Amino acid sequence: MVEWYASTLAHYVLVAIAIGGLMLLTYRGLLALGVRREAATGFAFTLPWVLGFLIWNLVPVITSLYLSLTDYDILQPPKWVGLANYQQLFTADGEFWPAFRITIAYALLTVPLGLLGSIAAATLLNQGVRGVGLWRTLYYLPAILPAFITALLWRLLLLPTRSGLVNSVTQPIWSQFAEKPPGWFLDKDMVLWGFVLMSFWGIFGANTVIVLAGLKNIPRDLYEAAGVDGAGTWSRFRHITLPQLSPTIFYLLVMGTIAAVQIFDQPQFVRLPAGAPQFLNVFLFNQAFAFSHMGYASAIAWVMLVVILLLTLLIFRSSSAWVYYDAEVRDK
Amino acid sequence: MTEATRPFDRPIVARTRRRWTGDALRKLIAYGGLTFGGLFALVPFLWMISTSLKTKDQLFVFPPRLIPNPIALDNYVNAWEALPFGTMLLNSLFVTGLAMVGELASAALVAYGFARFRFRFRNTLFVLMLSTMMLPWIVTLIPSFLIWKQLGLVNTFDPLVVPALFAWGPMYIFLMRQFFLGVSREVEEAAIVDGANPVQVLWYVMLPLVKPVLLAIGVLSFQGNWNNFRLPLIYLYNPIERFTMPLGLQFFQATLSAAEAPRWHYMMAMSTIMAVPILVLFFLAQKQFIEGIQLGSVKG
Repeated sequence: MVEWYASTLAHYVLVAIAIGGLMLLTYRGLLALGVRREAATGFAFTLPWVLGFLIWNLVPVITSLYLSLTDYDILQPPKWVGLANYQQLFTADGEFWPAFRITIAYALLTVPLGLLGSIAAATLLNQGVRGVGLWRTLYYLPAILPAFITALLWRLLLLPTRSGLVNSVTQPIWSQFAEKPPGWFLDKDMVLWGFVLMSFWGIFGANTVIVLAGLKNIPRDLYEAAGVDGAGTWSRFRHITLPQLSPTIFYLLVMGTIAAVQIFDQPQFVRLPAGAPQFLNVFLFNQAFAFSHMGYASAIAWVMLVVILLLTLLIFRSSSAWVYYDAEVRDK
Repeated sequence: MTEATRPFDRPIVARTRRRWTGDALRKLIAYGGLTFGGLFALVPFLWMISTSLKTKDQLFVFPPRLIPNPIALDNYVNAWEALPFGTMLLNSLFVTGLAMVGELASAALVAYGFARFRFRFRNTLFVLMLSTMMLPWIVTLIPSFLIWKQLGLVNTFDPLVVPALFAWGPMYIFLMRQFFLGVSREVEEAAIVDGANPVQVLWYVMLPLVKPVLLAIGVLSFQGNWNNFRLPLIYLYNPIERFTMPLGLQFFQATLSAAEAPRWHYMMAMSTIMAVPILVLFFLAQKQFIEGIQLGSVKG
């Protein structure tokens, strides 16, 4: 016990000293090479990140690309197989496409729904209601729970029987259509909705706080000018609030999408019914750590990387059409 | 259109009476909507606490009851003793503390470097740093795991805390840099004239000036590390005394409380216990919490 702490602490301190030493060495070395003092200092300060980037980002990314082209089970050295992993993934693996579809569907549902919910809540909070601080605290509360507790809690709320809280509250609705209550995490076709619901609950409050900050930043006089012009509530929302809020929406969209595609913690706490598709990251994790298919798992990881790049690129590309920045407004 | 279908429409030159009803309706809708949203946020939270206080036979009653009767406080004791959670708590605190200190200290150094000194490739490096936010953690996971395995340090706390020293949070660097940029240079120049070196300037002049931001980032960092589940899942496996609390909860969920007999009252008791430190921090430093999450969006 104590030895575990002591040894980690010793490594930690050693590495910290080593980083400090390297910073000093970089500074001295650059000066000796005739680099300006300011440049040498600046570079030395950023060294921890540069080192981290090389050790924990660049080298792993390249290694991962290499491993994705090999067959590797840790025990034997990697064996080059070319594109065979990708070929199997796309054409032969019956689990990949369902995983891909549910992951994308999850992102396409949670991110816009979460945004709509938080824009609605923030707009209501911005109507001059009393106790904004209190409401904000209340809304933010779910966001302080870790994702996995949220998952555990929603598994309980979505118990597939009549006594599950959600099912019992919504009984008047579902009993119109069915004898039996919704099965949620027991029904492989409803699993996705269970995850969407839990994520919506977990994220919408935090997003509301961010959107509210964006709303408060909109200059009052814009609304007053619009009021003089006789603009109605909807047209004010459409032509002032939304454009002014678009940088915030853009930020939430990018961050939310990147996070949603990588969902991992929540499904670790939910037992899925047989035949239900897994999320991409869970599929990858099992390939790597349950079956030791390190090469195959690396190929999945690269698919993940490309998916995230494409989605981010798509949002960035589209942003020139709908994101307004203050500078443009000022220019007019 | 009638007034009822356009409740928010309020012409500037309006009759007083009409304006009054419009305003009242608007408030009504606002409070109604907010209450609905508030219940949606709060009820699951209360359900967690309520379930943690129920006896076993109250778990699945219909209709569900929010207030347990009798109240089973000993759920907390029983859940706590079902696994060595005391040891796990210590582990969690140890890991969270070291990771937090490491990531904040290194982020401050790097941010200061990016904010105050001109050097070649600075902007390239900065953009590169921001773009790592898009890099999925799972891509670097397998090679990083192999590195730790090579070092013989899998199944120790090292992989959870040592990488923090390399400024692993691009967001924190970005935020601190923004705030360093906002500090006037004259403050530093006075210190430099007095013979302080750049590290001393950072420590004695800059950091105290941005203390509120530092606190906000510290709160986020604590939350992030305390709630970290992935790294322990990958790097810690046995004995169970090595687990952090999130991993312990998952173990409990997957074994002792598996599908046939989920002990929801115990799991919710553990969840509540795990939420308490963050909850306390949240109420102590609410302003910082809210600021912290707003910072990224507004400044970005």
